[in-house]
Amino acid sequence: MAPGLRELQAALVTQLLSASCGESELPIAGDSIPAAARLRIHRHHVLSSLSKALAGTFCTVHRLVGEDCFKSLSRDFVQAEPPCGPVLAEYGATFPFYLDAHPLARELPYLADVARLDWALNRAFHSPLERPLAGADLAHVPTEELPLQRVRLTAGATVVRSAYPLARIWAACQPDAPEDDVELGVEGARLLVFRRPDDAGFVGLGEGEAAFVSSLVPGCSLEEAAIAAMGVEPGFDLPLAFARLLALGIMLRCSKDDLVTG
Amino acid sequence: MRSVAGIGLRSPHLAQMVRERPATGFLEIHAENYLLSSPALAAVEDLRRDYPLSVHAVGLSLGSAEGLDAAHLERVVGLVKRLQPAFVSEHLSWSRSGGRYLNDLLPLPYTEETLSVVADNVDRLQQALGRQVSLENPSCYLAFGHSTLSEPEFLSELVDRTGCGLLLDANNIHVTAHNLRLDPQDWLRTLPGTAITQYHLAGHAVNDADGEPILIDDHGSRVSDVVWRLFAASIAQFGPRPTLVEWDTDIPPLPVLLEEAASAEQALQDGRQHGARAA
Amino acid sequence: MTTRRIAIGAALAAALTLPAAAHAQGNTEKCYGVAKAGKNDCQTDHSSCAGTSKTDGQSDAWIAVPKGACQKIVGGKLTSS
Repeated sequence: MAPGLRELQAALVTQLLSASCGESELPIAGDSIPAAARLRIHRHHVLSSLSKALAGTFCTVHRLVGEDCFKSLSRDFVQAEPPCGPVLAEYGATFPFYLDAHPLARELPYLADVARLDWALNRAFHSPLERPLAGADLAHVPTEELPLQRVRLTAGATVVRSAYPLARIWAACQPDAPEDDVELGVEGARLLVFRRPDDAGFVGLGEGEAAFVSSLVPGCSLEEAAIAAMGVEPGFDLPLAFARLLALGIMLRCSKDDLVTG
Repeated sequence: MRSVAGIGLRSPHLAQMVRERPATGFLEIHAENYLLSSPALAAVEDLRRDYPLSVHAVGLSLGSAEGLDAAHLERVVGLVKRLQPAFVSEHLSWSRSGGRYLNDLLPLPYTEETLSVVADNVDRLQQALGRQVSLENPSCYLAFGHSTLSEPEFLSELVDRTGCGLLLDANNIHVTAHNLRLDPQDWLRTLPGTAITQYHLAGHAVNDADGEPILIDDHGSRVSDVVWRLFAASIAQFGPRPTLVEWDTDIPPLPVLLEEAASAEQALQDGRQHGARAA
Repeated sequence: MTTRRIAIGAALAAALTLPAAAHAQGNTEKCYGVAKAGKNDCQTDHSSCAGTSKTDGQSDAWIAVPKGACQKIVGGKLTSS
């Protein structure tokens, strides 16, 4: 007796995500082209298209490890963690964690952080473009009230931190990059990733700048952010840093709705 | 909309389209690519001022026995309200079960149960949108042994129950007919032509399956001669309709895509001249 | 009003007088442009192998050796382990 539709669909999804696609119990008609071969077309497309979607999102990881290795990594990931929603730009949030735990991480310890950068760029690209706080918006605010202004980051802006020099690794992966070796060295990275009108981009931040930016959750004041920055970087140049962040256009004054209650 | 030819709007062509605004009947986008803000969505909203749009969803999974994903439905409704497209369409297929989405247009058994499920989902979708949706006939690589209806019979019933439109993909008819050993003329004969709102054209590939050719609907090449003939036969039988040329992989330069659309326009005009029933 | 708050206020005010362009330091890398968009589509992968091809059946436990830009990345913590 043929399965009900719900049961059939559950069984098909399991089949299509399984390690191999042999004979199945499913009521698929076969003729000179066997049922298993027909089902394999769908299985291949599912794995291949999702793998390609991940390659598009994690393009730097893809360039780092090359096509064959990425295909293998991404197919494993797809089978273990298929999408839970239909929007492929939202697929892959847990890929960096998967890489963290992968044996390959012993050989390429920076790989998961590169994936985090790729993901942050993806999220920034798919964030609304907001009109940022400009210097002119603060010109009328009395000096003594400036520290009390509550500010948040623009949509999609985020800080990616790493023990590895992510910006140099990223640069080494670009199509026009020179063939020279990239020495990892001992320095880490603090990258501010954000949306721009036509794309997403990133800049490097100093220690104090990174602490300042990371403080800018809704409800935080400029004073609190400045104190956090001065705490990690003695001699933090607040005028220079704040001018830079204004020029980058990554802050917004908080509206009452933004403020965290309690 | 007059029976014009349009093109699928794809990422590699976005910047050029915004800059040059070449003449074409309408632009088609896949809904799920525009549910998040992005520079691409901004470009589409800009283009919307000069071109009618067709919003073609790929992830609503109208064949899911579990029903529609409410959150996803809400987002698609939001996009349609924002863009006010000339058409909204989806597929006769499914892609979701148990919270897992497979990014494929998976096949359905054509049974009374499936009809009930799809009709219910289509009803909900049309109600949420406040407008008609057209369903595209799928490219099939397999058939289920327990189907009791043919695909055109199924579509006909669905139209009766829900008032949905049909998006007739001539390439999909050819691919399905080949892979499932069906006669495309029989297929066309049983279809309720008045429900057709749009035609689709695309290329396909020929693969090997156990020494036998199997057609793959890859949207990766020019429309083949046999599909142009099937398109002409559809126009002769049902009349001209707005027609979309799809090309989603190995995407050519924009002028090539526009050329294909021009050929489709020619076929529509030829159809009018030969006295096909008016749209 | 604390001395620190006064100092912070003065520093923030000073920032507003600095010329903007000079201070967007560091490479703003242009990346992740519009060409990246659009992963949802509705075609079937042409490289689908139906039939007797065993490619898809290959064990996914096999991990391909990384062979990309990673070959240029040397030193640091990689050599210390």
